[in-house]
Amino acid sequence: MTTQAMPSQLATLPLTPSEDLLVLPGPALLADVASRRVSGGIGSGGDPSLRDHRARWGEPTMLGLDALHALTDAAGVRGRGGAGFSFARKLATAARHRSLGRAPFVVVNASEGEPASAKDAALARTSPHLVLDGALIAARALGAREIHVIVPGDRPRTRGLLLAAVAERTTDPASSGVRWLTHTTQARFVAGQARAVLELMAGRPGLPVTAWEPEAVRGHRGRATLLSNAETWAHVGLLALEGLGRTLGRGTAAEPGTTLLTVHAPGRPVTVQEVEHGLPLGAVLPASARSGPILLGGFHGTWAAGSDVVDLPISAAAFRERRLALGAGVVIAPGLGACAVAWTERIVAHLASESAGRCGPCRNGLPALATAVADLAAGRPGARAEVARLCGLVEGRGACAHPDGTSRLVASLLQAFPEEVARHEAGRCGARQHLIESEAVR
Amino acid sequence: MTVLTITEGPLLWYLNRASGLSLMIVLSASVVLGVLARGGRTGGDGGARVPRFVTQSLHRNLALGGMLLLLAHIATAVVDEYVDIRWADALLPWGSAYEPWWVALGTIASDLFLVVTLTSALRLRLGHRAWKTIHLASWLAWGVGVAHGIGIGTDLRDQQDWVAWSVLPTIVCVLAVLAALGWRLDERRRGPRDAAVAPTTTSREAVHR
Amino acid sequence: MTAPTTATRLRVDWPSCDAHGLCHELLPDLIGLDDWGFPILPEHVPADRVLEARAAAKACPKLALRLLQP
Repeated sequence: MTTQAMPSQLATLPLTPSEDLLVLPGPALLADVASRRVSGGIGSGGDPSLRDHRARWGEPTMLGLDALHALTDAAGVRGRGGAGFSFARKLATAARHRSLGRAPFVVVNASEGEPASAKDAALARTSPHLVLDGALIAARALGAREIHVIVPGDRPRTRGLLLAAVAERTTDPASSGVRWLTHTTQARFVAGQARAVLELMAGRPGLPVTAWEPEAVRGHRGRATLLSNAETWAHVGLLALEGLGRTLGRGTAAEPGTTLLTVHAPGRPVTVQEVEHGLPLGAVLPASARSGPILLGGFHGTWAAGSDVVDLPISAAAFRERRLALGAGVVIAPGLGACAVAWTERIVAHLASESAGRCGPCRNGLPALATAVADLAAGRPGARAEVARLCGLVEGRGACAHPDGTSRLVASLLQAFPEEVARHEAGRCGARQHLIESEAVR
Repeated sequence: MTVLTITEGPLLWYLNRASGLSLMIVLSASVVLGVLARGGRTGGDGGARVPRFVTQSLHRNLALGGMLLLLAHIATAVVDEYVDIRWADALLPWGSAYEPWWVALGTIASDLFLVVTLTSALRLRLGHRAWKTIHLASWLAWGVGVAHGIGIGTDLRDQQDWVAWSVLPTIVCVLAVLAALGWRLDERRRGPRDAAVAPTTTSREAVHR
Repeated sequence: MTAPTTATRLRVDWPSCDAHGLCHELLPDLIGLDDWGFPILPEHVPADRVLEARAAAKACPKLALRLLQP
């Protein structure tokens, strides 16, 4: 008789964003959240209005550029859109590339193009004004006169909440002197990419183009543009409102503060959780997800065996050391008995169809990679070598990181589950076999 | 025997017609090569029998040669005292005393050709989009030039015995350029040859057979 | 991404590249072509090939290839 738990229902592959979230209270950004299931409408307890936000925090103190730079540098604020770039450095770059008569722009990227991510949606529901205050403080420090907020076209609830929050700003005296503009993205995976957002702002289709310089150097209308993810702005806002001491009191010395994670696990709704850096990953994984494969970092992320990462501290450095990527904080645990190969096959097919189609290597390479992964899953001979070849072929050859991320996902499958891949090459499936075995001994 | 100076008599006239005919041939060839150099989408090793950079080079050199022929064509027309064409008529399409409409066509064609050539020399500075838009005017320049040749060229208009010498090349050039244009338009319609179709994941259920 | 930033590099503006392949014709040992005719660029351009690389960039019908010098 097997002592293993029966494989419970598997998590569903989140190819489209869910607006049905569970947002858990957290130590900082989500401190005022009473744990609640937020579907359809706003849950009880907590009102994300500006009035309530001001009641809680008071008016934000505006910081000079040097002060803001020092503050965000000391707190080690890093971008939360996936790249993890130092916010202070980006701020300094944008500041350096201002010039007379050409004021820089501030962009809040709340478009959350990754369908499996829901952290920005959670912020929209619970603390949109932390996000907007962060952007406002940076705009004042930089002398920017326009703040552009990018909202998701495929999450109508989130979009509505963000637009409402921005609308409140136009009548807020503390936010005066700055124009607030909004743009809505199309429902595409690559629509949230920085250059795609700049294209959207310029009135062109919201798809990636080649960036010869970072947008902090030359972005919207050829001017310095400080574009960051919504969560990044929330951290900046909270930092300015509560002060450095409180932030340094969380997380680790090397990586102070917290991070929002979106966790997909079997038998649970999509959950957004805030964790202090340094906490082990197992802390956010329910028991049902601790064994079996885990996809870290979303669809452009990396596979790992659950048992291998249960003790892994949630920190950029620790992940990097293990050649894993936290990305935009998405953790997908399909559940024990899920087949990582089959999941990868479906994800890659989806990513291939989500290509903007502008760059030859991506437009051609991703569908070819998808076919090769499907061949691998089906046990066709020679598929593994073809998969490896195509992974190398598409990497770095596109205007955005879409092919790179897809290649990373597939490579991580080969790296993390070599035995499972070998089983598929032989025409079998370990997950299916496991399912058969546990049913047989029931 | 009366000695004729170079500006009288038929020498300049012959040179003008010869340069005109050569101009049409050279520039028609350049247009066709221009289309071939750009070619369709490639695949694998490039697909072209002749390397594209050779075709591209030839296209440019023929155009430059055509520019020289054009200068000769204009000079012989102006210097020839038999017809009253002045230097100004070479640039401005009005005011020619001789055959004003047909000369005007020639002037327009050469003006367009000049602009296309200059912008191509400055292609890197202009950027691809601007350069491309202006370069499309070369089709027009060719067409107007051929019309000029047919209209003003006594060879073609007056149907004499030796007419075949100029009719045949004209027909060949026109057919060649029209074929190139047709191919180019068709290629535009077809779009990128490598446009991929979304993969069919037919093996999704394969492992669960 | 692994090449030192002080080296001369070739970069492609991918949305502009139409796989005409002139760059490969001019620099076959430096620039390869993938399965669909798009260029595979070297990590960096050796100093003695910079002039040829510049010519390849000039020859591109879409001006998609750029030579970046530090």
